[in-house]
Amino acid sequence: MLELRNLSKSFGDFQAVKSVSLSVPDGAFLTLLGPSGCGKTTLLRMLAGLELASQGQIVFDGQLVSDGDKSWSVDPAKRNSGLVFQSYALWPHMSVRGNVEWPLKVARVDKSVRDQRVAEVLALLNIAELADRYPNEISGGQQQRVAIARTIAPKPKVLLFDEPLSNLDAKLRVEMRTELMRLHRATGATTVYVTHDQIEAMTMASHVAVMKDGRVEQFGQPDDLIRVPETAFVATFVGTPPNNLVPVSPGPDGPVVRGRPIGLRPPVEGPCFAMYRPEALRLDDQNADRTLTMELVEASRIAGRTMVTMVDGDMRLTAIVDQPPTAEIGDSVRVVLPERPTCWFDDMGRRVGTDRTGAG
Amino acid sequence: MTGRRVLFRQGTVLKTIVLALLVVLIVLPLIRTVLVTLQPDAIDAWSDVLVGRLSHNLFYRPLVNTLILGVGVSVGCVLIGGYLAWLVVMTNMPLRRTIGVMATLPFMIPSFATALAWGTLFRNDRVGGQVGFIQGLGVDVPDVLAWGMLPSLIVLTLHYSSLAFTVIAAALATVNSDLVEAAQLTGAKGVRVVLGIILPVTTPALVSAASLCFAGAVSNFAAPALLGLPVRMQTLSTRLFGMIEVGQTARGYVIGIMLVLVSALFLWLGNRVISGRRSYATITGKGGRAKRFDLRGAKWPLFGIAAVILLVATVVPIVVLVASSLAPSSAQLFGNWTSHYWLGQSSPSIAQGTPGIAYNPDIVRALIVTLGLGCAVAVAGMAVGLLSAYTVARHRTGWASATITQISFLPLLVPGIAFGAAYIAYLGAPIGPLPALYGTFALLVIAATAYLLPFAVQTGRAVIQQVSGELEESARLTGASFLRRLAEITVPLAIRGLVAGGLLVFVKIVRDLSLVVLLFTPTMPVLSVLAYRYASEGFTQFANAVAVVILALSIAMTLIAQRLQAKSQPWLKN
Repeated sequence: MLELRNLSKSFGDFQAVKSVSLSVPDGAFLTLLGPSGCGKTTLLRMLAGLELASQGQIVFDGQLVSDGDKSWSVDPAKRNSGLVFQSYALWPHMSVRGNVEWPLKVARVDKSVRDQRVAEVLALLNIAELADRYPNEISGGQQQRVAIARTIAPKPKVLLFDEPLSNLDAKLRVEMRTELMRLHRATGATTVYVTHDQIEAMTMASHVAVMKDGRVEQFGQPDDLIRVPETAFVATFVGTPPNNLVPVSPGPDGPVVRGRPIGLRPPVEGPCFAMYRPEALRLDDQNADRTLTMELVEASRIAGRTMVTMVDGDMRLTAIVDQPPTAEIGDSVRVVLPERPTCWFDDMGRRVGTDRTGAG
Repeated sequence: MTGRRVLFRQGTVLKTIVLALLVVLIVLPLIRTVLVTLQPDAIDAWSDVLVGRLSHNLFYRPLVNTLILGVGVSVGCVLIGGYLAWLVVMTNMPLRRTIGVMATLPFMIPSFATALAWGTLFRNDRVGGQVGFIQGLGVDVPDVLAWGMLPSLIVLTLHYSSLAFTVIAAALATVNSDLVEAAQLTGAKGVRVVLGIILPVTTPALVSAASLCFAGAVSNFAAPALLGLPVRMQTLSTRLFGMIEVGQTARGYVIGIMLVLVSALFLWLGNRVISGRRSYATITGKGGRAKRFDLRGAKWPLFGIAAVILLVATVVPIVVLVASSLAPSSAQLFGNWTSHYWLGQSSPSIAQGTPGIAYNPDIVRALIVTLGLGCAVAVAGMAVGLLSAYTVARHRTGWASATITQISFLPLLVPGIAFGAAYIAYLGAPIGPLPALYGTFALLVIAATAYLLPFAVQTGRAVIQQVSGELEESARLTGASFLRRLAEITVPLAIRGLVAGGLLVFVKIVRDLSLVVLLFTPTMPVLSVLAYRYASEGFTQFANAVAVVILALSIAMTLIAQRLQAKSQPWLKN
């Protein structure tokens, strides 16, 4: 089990990570997902032992490895963990073999065992034929594989990845995603994976922690995040395409959306947000109840259906519809909101009301 | 899994060690010097120097001369350096590359070598001894051209103009060509663009070039000593030297402290002017493919002026020194050449029996000491420099890192001769159980290491920045110790830069005169001081021959270092 208890980290006055608590079972694939600057990399560096926590504890496998409250920490090398850097951090003066072998040398592994293990991981990552090349002689995707081979060579129980795919092109990224999941199954190591790409997070992870401003906004399995987003931020950050938030404010004759009355019944007084799934919105020429007139700005075919995006002022809605719209880009279209939104958020972004069904 | 309590924040131990080292090397000598002047038997030196009957001669006249030198040299350097930099970076002048390389050369020639060359050419009969080449041609050289302020000004301006060139050219190279093109699109013509856009944008560089040249000129010892002292023109640095030489150390230290204050004041003022305004740093990753000003017809005349300046600053002094080391008389530089001053055995008829430098035990010993000193300081300097730079780069936060940076650049404010004086005050006498180090090789090495630390740290920093922190962190994750990481990751990756930095430190100390002139003892001679002594005693040929040796050493090493660094000179790229 990998467990974090009230983990915090400050740099001077700046609090990068604020009281994070979560735990995942052995062999889990945990992604830390969030926009840049949300503290996810700092959290990872604390797990690796490169930063000392300001407060809170880190427990690997039932054993405390770091206690910020007591300024106590297990040396990075003794945590049985390995980190793959975003930049790969391959040592440019060593060959591929040298890079993979060096950590084993430092650990005083016997030469014969070492050679065997190096051959093993190079084969596992399909880079055996690159063994004698230097990092600047191989491609970005190959460097990535070397970085991973180097990290798994000492057989760590916990594998840490810092945005490992962000430097690869789109196609390679998809291939590496599959490769990493295969590797995860092969090694069985508990994996913590930092990314800002929600597709990566949702496709690879067994557990996702969505972070924002140093806090965990929501921690759960990918499906939970989609089904029951706890905050407006999570609702709009995960999912492809992400959910729609419609700002609803009180008016003299009931709730209004952008100044126009609409037949919705928010669970709170005051301004709030109604969340709709893209597939729940419809385009309709008829002027029905709960209809918004908006400008059509994008339409694209996706897997036999059509994704349309509309804007009205700063409100932007995305719908997945069966038929392409007849209107041209720039024309007005009418969007029909279902009677009951999937859920509601108050103006602080917190989920309100009792509606917890995921029905769209 | 065993853990350990992290008693200190990461890097605290390293920071403490480096800080202690810097305090011992740099802070203590300076404090010690001030304290010495505050002793009861020395405190009178302050009033003697600043307000007493002698103060006019001891301090104020040298101060005025020093300031004239400083202002004159900085103005001259910015004009010459700026002119050359503009031509090389911004225009389509022919042979830009060559001029760009040549413009960095004068700084490789030690200022005492240029001063010796000047004397060889322009010396007249005012103080006796051999006359120079021009007098030898039958032309009467007026005193004002032969001695004192004017020649010192010219020699120092030629010397420091390449410093100004480097600073200004680097700044001009960062001026994005978009900036210039945007101005040209508004219809502005060449001069307007220079005055309205380029000049304001590069003002910070001009100011910092000026203050660096000022600080260099006021602290320079060689030129005023060789060209001014014979006619009793004193600057603060020659006064300081004179006071220590005659044993009035307290007065010497006071003058030294005043010299530090003057030089620091102007560097500080320069910094104030720059930091007071917005920084215009325009370094972007985009290719700086500057569109060059078309000089049209003015091409060749402007090139001619640049070429003459550079010939005078580089080729002429070298030719004169080499010729003079072969000619029995400066008056006839290019006739009767003899190899006596290089290879001759002692002969009573020439130079009071001084043998040529290959057989001269003093010079051979000085050569060995100098080379040893250069190597020792290069290794020690780069070691301390790398360690300091590493500490600051990897542990950026906290007051200790800021203090390390500040202290390591402190010697820049201290003229070499004042630094030498401080080290005499510091280690010249026994401290507790430690013996006095005066006259030992160790003193030379320690003082020179401390003196060149700003340079070593800066080089170290550039080197460290090339090695990404993650490379080292990933090594740390494997459990490799600090020393192992340094030895197997950081140093191998940085080795070229380190060697280049070490070579440059070597060059700087081998050709230095101002620091070692006070630490010199007959048992521990160094080449530059020997050259200076020979020149003062009228053995021009020997002085010049030694200067040629130093020149050859420093130029060769500098070229190797530049090759190693593959020094990027973005203003030369097309």
